[in-house]
Amino acid sequence: MLTARALCKTYLSGDRQIVVLNGVDLSVAAGESVSIRGESGSGKSTLLNLLSALDVPDGGEVIWDGKPSIGTQVRATYLGMVFQSFYLIPELDALQNVLMARRMVGRVGSAEKARARDLLAKVGLAERSHHLPSQLSGGERQRVAVARALMNSPQLILADEPTGNLDEKTGDAVIELLLGLCTEMKTALILVTHSAVHAAKTNRKTLLHEGKLHDVV
Amino acid sequence: MPWYLFLALKQLFPTGRRFPFFTFISVVGVALGVALLVVVTSVMGGFGYEIRRMIVDTEGEIQIKSGGYINDHAGLLKKVESVPGVVAATPYAAGALMIEYHGKPAYPGMRGLDLATVEKVVQLSKYVRIGSLDDLDDDSVLLSSQLAQSIGASVGSKIEVYSPLMIERFKRDEVFMPREVRVAGIVEIGHQQLDSSTVYCTLRLAQDLYGLGSAVHGVNVRVREGMNEDEVAARLNAALPPGIRALSWMDSFSDFLWVLQLEKNMIFFLLIFIVIVAGFSVASSLLISVVRKTREIGLIGALGGKPLQVAACFCFQGLIIGVFGTLLGLGMGFVALTFRNDFVLLVTKITQRDEVLQRFYQFSQLPSHTAMSDILLIVVSSIFISMLAGLLPAWRAARLKPVEALRSE
Repeated sequence: MLTARALCKTYLSGDRQIVVLNGVDLSVAAGESVSIRGESGSGKSTLLNLLSALDVPDGGEVIWDGKPSIGTQVRATYLGMVFQSFYLIPELDALQNVLMARRMVGRVGSAEKARARDLLAKVGLAERSHHLPSQLSGGERQRVAVARALMNSPQLILADEPTGNLDEKTGDAVIELLLGLCTEMKTALILVTHSAVHAAKTNRKTLLHEGKLHDVV
Repeated sequence: MPWYLFLALKQLFPTGRRFPFFTFISVVGVALGVALLVVVTSVMGGFGYEIRRMIVDTEGEIQIKSGGYINDHAGLLKKVESVPGVVAATPYAAGALMIEYHGKPAYPGMRGLDLATVEKVVQLSKYVRIGSLDDLDDDSVLLSSQLAQSIGASVGSKIEVYSPLMIERFKRDEVFMPREVRVAGIVEIGHQQLDSSTVYCTLRLAQDLYGLGSAVHGVNVRVREGMNEDEVAARLNAALPPGIRALSWMDSFSDFLWVLQLEKNMIFFLLIFIVIVAGFSVASSLLISVVRKTREIGLIGALGGKPLQVAACFCFQGLIIGVFGTLLGLGMGFVALTFRNDFVLLVTKITQRDEVLQRFYQFSQLPSHTAMSDILLIVVSSIFISMLAGLLPAWRAARLKPVEALRSE
């Protein structure tokens, strides 16, 4: 479904060149879950940005279903994204935040609203659908973000340290929820995490080290 | 509804917040500018409109004059009334007089009216406050209200009228006695200059006082409703004999009207800066919003939003503020115009300057006339300025790269 070949990315820091990714190869099959671990600054988020076409690699390519690149519209339907800092829109309630993913690609009718309510129910927030992000706890906000990522029935979810801002117990619950829903909806998942426990729950474990991605047995 | 419009509305009027303070301040800024523009252009328009009303109601839309006298006014009237667009015409005689009542002299202007035709052209009777135009005959006059007050005359008073003809006769060693006439009524037009110094009399009395015989000084013409006065004046000039000329009221007062229009344009130009300043305030608020929402803009990019759509979101916010501000400003402006005289009355009562105001501005009440073209110009200008105010923040937002925006602290 997704194949990355020989991805390279270099950043300039003053006169110095910092090689973040140096020939990363990765392939994800439909419904598969892959974890990526690595030290801070090892390039995990950069890799996710390249995979989601938010950034352009200096070398290598990302292939989506045989196509060399994806446009903004396609990204919105193929991909769901979950971030460490939730990134909910503060002026919108939980339901509208979930629906926002749908608004970006088309019209929102009663069927879409029903699906958003259903997703909120699945993440345990049926009763809080009209609450603003400021009225929700960190764990609840991340669950809204998970529901938003799943709204357009994407083929792949990219989760960038989704538990980074949560306590251990809440983080575990969010990972369980994310993995459970991805399995239920047959959605592939790339999970960037520092936690070995969370990584262990995915189908395939990888480690990003010195610009290269290594499978971990 | 496209997402960028939906988000623009939600950012201005967030869910669950009853009083969006930023939006309120921005909308009120635009509204104050618009309200002020509406009030000032309407009052300036009111001065022009009142002057037109005053001229047309007392002299008709067109005046026909010659260098001296018009002798065959009956023949001229026939010719004038046959011109397309002319409803009616009436001859008049005009000049200066001296009047005296109980030793109090005054030097008003005189207007001699042909009672048989005057009402077809000018609506003088509606300004007769005491007495009636029907009571006017060759031995009586109508006095303007402030003139009557200044000499202490009232209806029924006998006043003495001295005409310039007395000087002519005096040169020939003839004695021409002042004419004693009765005050048949009091006229109040609502214009300080006319109300303070005009005597209305019959055409025959005016002709006697000026020794005109059957001649007149000019003819006032009424034009058919909806007809262009300048067009009818041009037709009249084509039909009139040489030496006699028709001038529309706009031509007669062209300098004054030009000054009035210039003042109105200058005031509009100066006051539009209030809306421009409000526009800068909207721009700065939206710029702060772009900085504050950098990560959200990044998220929108990550979710599939295109730079142009992100720009449209902020541009729409400027537009929405402009539309709401303009509507509120129009409402505030019209309310202020409705109560303008109460407000002026209050201020003049507090300052005890009501007479000064009337003397200076000519009118007994603050005039107002709102032209649709002025309102259209105000609405278009303020909405356009507000939309421009949204452009800079929109451009900033559109330039943000999702990756960098998401990474920003």
